Amino acid sequence: MRVFADLHIHSRYSRATSPRMNLKEIAYYAQLKGLNLVGSGDFTHPKWFNQIKEILIADPNTNLYKVNGAIENSVQFMLTTEVCTLFNFKNSIKKIHHVIFAPNLEVITQINSALEKYGNLNSDGRPILKISCVDLVEKIMDVSKDNLIFPAHIWTPWFGILGAFSGFNNIEDCYQDMIKYIYAIESGLSSDPPMNWRLSNLDKFTLLSNSDCHSFWPWRIGREANVFDLEKLSYREIIGAIKDKPAQKLKFTIETDPGYGKYHWTGHRNCKISLSPKQAKRFNNICPVCRKKLTKGVEQRVDELADQPINRKPKNAPSFLRLLPLSNIITEVLNVGSPSTQAVWKIYSELIRNFHNEYFVLIEAPRDDLLKIVDFPIANAILKVREGDFEVIPGFDGVYGQLVLDTDTKKIKLPRSKVSQTNIHDFNKIE
Amino acid sequence: MNQIFKLKISEAKLLRDMANAISILIDEATFKIDEEGLKLRAMDPSRVAMIDFEWPKTIFEEYECVSPSKICINISELLKLLRRAGKSEAVNLSLDEKTGQLQIVVTGKYKRSFTMPTLEAVEEEVPTPKIDFNVKAKTTTQGLSQAIDDAQLVSDHVRIEADSDKLLFIASGDLMGAKITLQKGSETLLDLETKEASKATFSLSYLSEIIKAASATSEIATLEFSTDMPIRIDFQQAKQGKLIFFLAPRIETD
Repeated sequence: MRVFADLHIHSRYSRATSPRMNLKEIAYYAQLKGLNLVGSGDFTHPKWFNQIKEILIADPNTNLYKVNGAIENSVQFMLTTEVCTLFNFKNSIKKIHHVIFAPNLEVITQINSALEKYGNLNSDGRPILKISCVDLVEKIMDVSKDNLIFPAHIWTPWFGILGAFSGFNNIEDCYQDMIKYIYAIESGLSSDPPMNWRLSNLDKFTLLSNSDCHSFWPWRIGREANVFDLEKLSYREIIGAIKDKPAQKLKFTIETDPGYGKYHWTGHRNCKISLSPKQAKRFNNICPVCRKKLTKGVEQRVDELADQPINRKPKNAPSFLRLLPLSNIITEVLNVGSPSTQAVWKIYSELIRNFHNEYFVLIEAPRDDLLKIVDFPIANAILKVREGDFEVIPGFDGVYGQLVLDTDTKKIKLPRSKVSQTNIHDFNKIE
Repeated sequence: MNQIFKLKISEAKLLRDMANAISILIDEATFKIDEEGLKLRAMDPSRVAMIDFEWPKTIFEEYECVSPSKICINISELLKLLRRAGKSEAVNLSLDEKTGQLQIVVTGKYKRSFTMPTLEAVEEEVPTPKIDFNVKAKTTTQGLSQAIDDAQLVSDHVRIEADSDKLLFIASGDLMGAKITLQKGSETLLDLETKEASKATFSLSYLSEIIKAASATSEIATLEFSTDMPIRIDFQQAKQGKLIFFLAPRIETD
């Protein structure tokens, strides 16, 4: 069976999350999206853990969970969380995010008991733990060998394991002898599989894609996901598919354009400066407006660590599908400011009513069928995204990228700033 | 003590103002020093601007250079020391070959002696951009500074335009706009030579800091620019000194 899984999300107990981020709403919107498996998120938070126990019901045969009494909702939950480790490594402070999967509530109780010594689990759905990555993995795997732990959004500048500001140059340096338990890495929104394929030392890991969403809206949940082909949907099968990469049970990942992510390019949000790796190097990674160090983007960081050419694909690597959230596509066509406007919802709901879920609309719905439901510009835009015929103005320093659909006319909407700074080297007629 | 050079400047203010102007762009400055004088040419870390500075030995009350050399110092640290000196106090600078320490002696009502470390000098020679300038405008630094202040009220960048009889500073922000006109022959615009009407846009943050700091060393500035090319601002110095800044333009996309 085909499983669409978003295995890294957050609850309302994480910072900067929607207050409505509860399990019933998550299940509802996950179903709209087309997900049949979603992470519970934040199982380390005592209040959220209580809600998991109260609202979800376990299937002991699969170690997966469903909203109790939700007859029409088939979305299942897997028990997941994210933690931040804060520790000193060779005289520098490292802040690294990790995702943890656990099979059942009893195991979670033991994990939480082990972790509460290292930080306040009540403070945040994604707690900060004063523990090294090595010790964290050891604690998690001591509780149960059925657990899975892997680094989250590995390239983000401040909290990614390979991030520019507090990361390492390779995964092994971080986990040391505990690397034997690390089977996966999460690409994050700002990188896609081809970018990760440029580092041969990442080949051995299964590359997962998740939304890391802080709200359940369909332009957030499932914007990145993993598509498995399994005999049966169960915790063990999912973990097995991730651990046994050559078995190729992870068929493909759903990826937004990496430019859509908030840290794809290098820049400064307040200075409205967004630079490609090449441009950033020309400015010596210094902001030409405020003259402080630029926030190095993921593309530039990948460039620095890459040992393989662009367009290389390793053996056994799952393929990927580049999509953008349907709400964002409609927003762009209607030229309205936000995907949450009524005009966008109206068209979105009409499409879901007819095609059941968003992934079907984006991936499979035939052109003629789409045209029966929506006007040509919307249907055309969906098809263009499906065919990869779109561009994105890259995100930078916490600013999301912008979708550009009118590539026919090449009227790419540009940079938030109407002027771009040159440097002295641009004027190469020198004496 | 073997000293590579020994310099004396009669007024601390001169040195302090110059160090301040240099510090606008450069943290660690590599000076070339030889029998002719003291020179510095460097780009700021983001390579948007460049400074070209020269003080011939005639600026100094005493000048002795044993062998041509390069010396790199942290300008902000030097400025901290120079701020302790009174305007008219004399400053002696010398470099001890053995320790690599720069000695700064301030002599006035009493004598103060400081030492600071030198850093690894940059070997790279930085060329200045060679540009055919179509506009050459001579202004008072006070008038120029005020025009920049006006523009800064509304935007973070300014377009400088010139035709045969006037120099314009045009700034447009999200809501407000500003247009400052300097007429040829006015008290502010002392001279204007225009081969071809030209315009270019520049960062006000750079322009403002450069002009404010350099104005303390000079009353007259000569601006040279062409359309969408770097601007060259030459702040006139006494006794054949040279303080020139280049600033790369911002290119307007619509």
